[in-house]
Amino acid sequence: MKEVRLWTASDVSDWLTEEGMQEYTEALREKDGPALLQLSEQDFNTLPLSLVTGDSGRQLLERIETLRFTSHMKAHKGNNHKNSYHANGHVGVILANGSISNGKTVNGGPKNGLLSEPVRILIPSLSEQERTPFPTEWFKTGVAFLYALCCFLMTTVMISVVHERVPPKEETPPLPDKFFDLFDRVEWAFSICEINGMLLVGLWFTQWLLLKHRSIIGRRFFFIVGTLYLYRCVTMYVTTLPVPGMHFKCSPKLFGDWEAQSRRVMKLMAGGGLSITGSHALCGDYLYSGHTVMLTLTYLFIKEYSPRRFWWYHSICWCLSAVGIFCILLAHDHYTIDVVVAYFMTTRLFWWYHTMANQQALKEKSAGNMFSRVWWFSPFQYFETNVRGIVPRNYQLPFLLRTLTSTRVKYSKLDSRES
Amino acid sequence: MAQTQLLDEQDDGQIGECHVMVTVEDRTHPQTPPTGRTHPYQDTPPFSQVDDQPKDSKLRGFRRIRKNQDYVHITMAKSSISRLPSEWWKTGIAFIWAGLNLVLTTVMITIVHDRVPDKSVSPPLPDKFFDYVPRMEWAFRVTEVIGMILVILWFIQWLSLKYRAIVGRRFFFLQGLLYMYRMVTMYITTLPVPSMHMECAPKLQNNSHEKLQRVYQLVSGAGLSITGSHRMCGDFLYSGHTVMLTLTFLFIYEYSPRSRLWTVYHVICGLLSTMGVACILLGHEHYSLDVVVAYFITSRLFYWYHTMANNQALRGSPHNYLNRVWWSFMFSFLEKNVKLSVPCTFSWPISVPSVSFKNPCRSYSKVQSSREE
Repeated sequence: MKEVRLWTASDVSDWLTEEGMQEYTEALREKDGPALLQLSEQDFNTLPLSLVTGDSGRQLLERIETLRFTSHMKAHKGNNHKNSYHANGHVGVILANGSISNGKTVNGGPKNGLLSEPVRILIPSLSEQERTPFPTEWFKTGVAFLYALCCFLMTTVMISVVHERVPPKEETPPLPDKFFDLFDRVEWAFSICEINGMLLVGLWFTQWLLLKHRSIIGRRFFFIVGTLYLYRCVTMYVTTLPVPGMHFKCSPKLFGDWEAQSRRVMKLMAGGGLSITGSHALCGDYLYSGHTVMLTLTYLFIKEYSPRRFWWYHSICWCLSAVGIFCILLAHDHYTIDVVVAYFMTTRLFWWYHTMANQQALKEKSAGNMFSRVWWFSPFQYFETNVRGIVPRNYQLPFLLRTLTSTRVKYSKLDSRES
Repeated sequence: MAQTQLLDEQDDGQIGECHVMVTVEDRTHPQTPPTGRTHPYQDTPPFSQVDDQPKDSKLRGFRRIRKNQDYVHITMAKSSISRLPSEWWKTGIAFIWAGLNLVLTTVMITIVHDRVPDKSVSPPLPDKFFDYVPRMEWAFRVTEVIGMILVILWFIQWLSLKYRAIVGRRFFFLQGLLYMYRMVTMYITTLPVPSMHMECAPKLQNNSHEKLQRVYQLVSGAGLSITGSHRMCGDFLYSGHTVMLTLTFLFIYEYSPRSRLWTVYHVICGLLSTMGVACILLGHEHYSLDVVVAYFITSRLFYWYHTMANNQALRGSPHNYLNRVWWSFMFSFLEKNVKLSVPCTFSWPISVPSVSFKNPCRSYSKVQSSREE
């Protein structure tokens, strides 16, 4: 649309029709752009306009005013406003506050209260944690990840230490276990358990990538896993159980050979502690079972952070988890007590953490809040203090995939103004 | 209006016949004038005859008006007493639950005893604590003495609590639950004896009569070695002594005031408890693992239960993961009518109405007494 000053009479009548004011087209058919802009109330009180108008032209005058400054804006887009007032040879008088009037003094204030330049409203930029109840805070997730890594490392070192203390199976036969009495050993069962574990971890990782609040949820996962492995260090260390079955082939003991021991630790870490990768030939880490922890925990997280209606997905994961745990026992690779204790610790810690995280009242230390007496309450507060409310299950493609597909809506007026 | 007419008639009757109304007999029926003039409202309710002063005739009329209207029922909020009902029968059920679990545990100990591998076949497992600290003979007796002291202290404290039904219920339930878990862990995997000094009673393979006798002996001796009732092995994971020591201390701490004087009491009980647990290990009667696991399970269960009980907001919330434990139905049965966290108040066990004083634990005596009455 070209500027109003440059309008011809037919443009004016087109505009009047557009605005729904056809009644004026006949009376104003001689008027072109500048004349339109010069219309005033007096014109509407005299013939011929007074015959046509019902409100002495007030509505039309308002529309003209709007027209005037929008076209003025277009004209001065990108220019320095002060200069443009003089440069374009406006008919109007430039008032002190920068508003334009077309020759009619309006007591120093803009006519109809309209300013012709946009008013800048300063919005204070809030920090992310004030803007949203679920701030991302990747730094905290990084801290949680480091914590989990430290716990894994400590567990590996501990396994290596405990290995030296395991009594040989000739001296101390496997302890009597009710499950072993009922079920004989099945050789290939442990591989099934580890495959299930890897599947569940893979599924959980994919799901985690698709979550919107992945930093918060990742933080929780790392913290819980780290704490469980830390507890595992303690229980492994204080009392050493003998091997659960005579089929175990434990690596020879290296008494005091630190270099060889550290190499073993590296190998264990690299293999993820799985027997399938051949990295786990160390004995002694029986109470409690790390495999059960991973199977249970990944299932709990999968179920918690996926839509409720995917019941088939939850059932599949539950089956994977249950079969995996059963196969641990079937392979006689852990005592029943290891599995039971591991399940208990995992579920209790998970539910405890999430109940605390979901209730604002439980995040503060108070006499009625007994949960604040756990030793990990301060790290918990550090991680969850800015999370206000229950983390919703929202999904979003990860960053890289997002930039590939641009689904952003373009708001043409705003975008073009900023450019 | 009929009623104003009534008043007018009454007034007329009063004024006109006042000299007649002085007589006593007529006082019983102030509404009906002594002349026997019939009124439309002959059947007057008794309460409006109570007041027979002349100037209250209008009032009487108002009362009569009121009697014909419906009363508006305003529900008052229930007083806090009914939010902490005693319900001794629930305490009785919890007591039966605890008793049942104790007996079953004893039976389980007897069963497990037969599965314990012999000392020569399965030597004691390597234990970090045992590596550092040699055995002391007297230590286990100290543990049991401390355990008895703590139980007696807790019992006395429990008797002096005001809401002893609720608190007792909680204690019995938690104790029963812990012993039930203990049954499971004892049974599924049997640990060998922790130390060569332990003298286990001989195994009775199929002699059920003897086994029953052993069960009875164990129950009557409360499972303590001091009473000579506990000569059976195999109940190592996890340690029942630790459970009792920890649980009594937690309850003592929770249901007593927090003032400075009481802190001394708490510290003493805490020290006793810790010493008792340490002496278990000193006496090489349990593995360190047994003690660690027992402490962990007891404290977590205690905190879990009390958080569920004290936070009303959690009870109906869909995001309450605490009630995913299997015993949450038992919890809701026991704590359904307890709507507040149990305040710490003491009262004499034998209720003598004139003497029973409610001694609040904190100095907010005004608030507390007005809240409970």
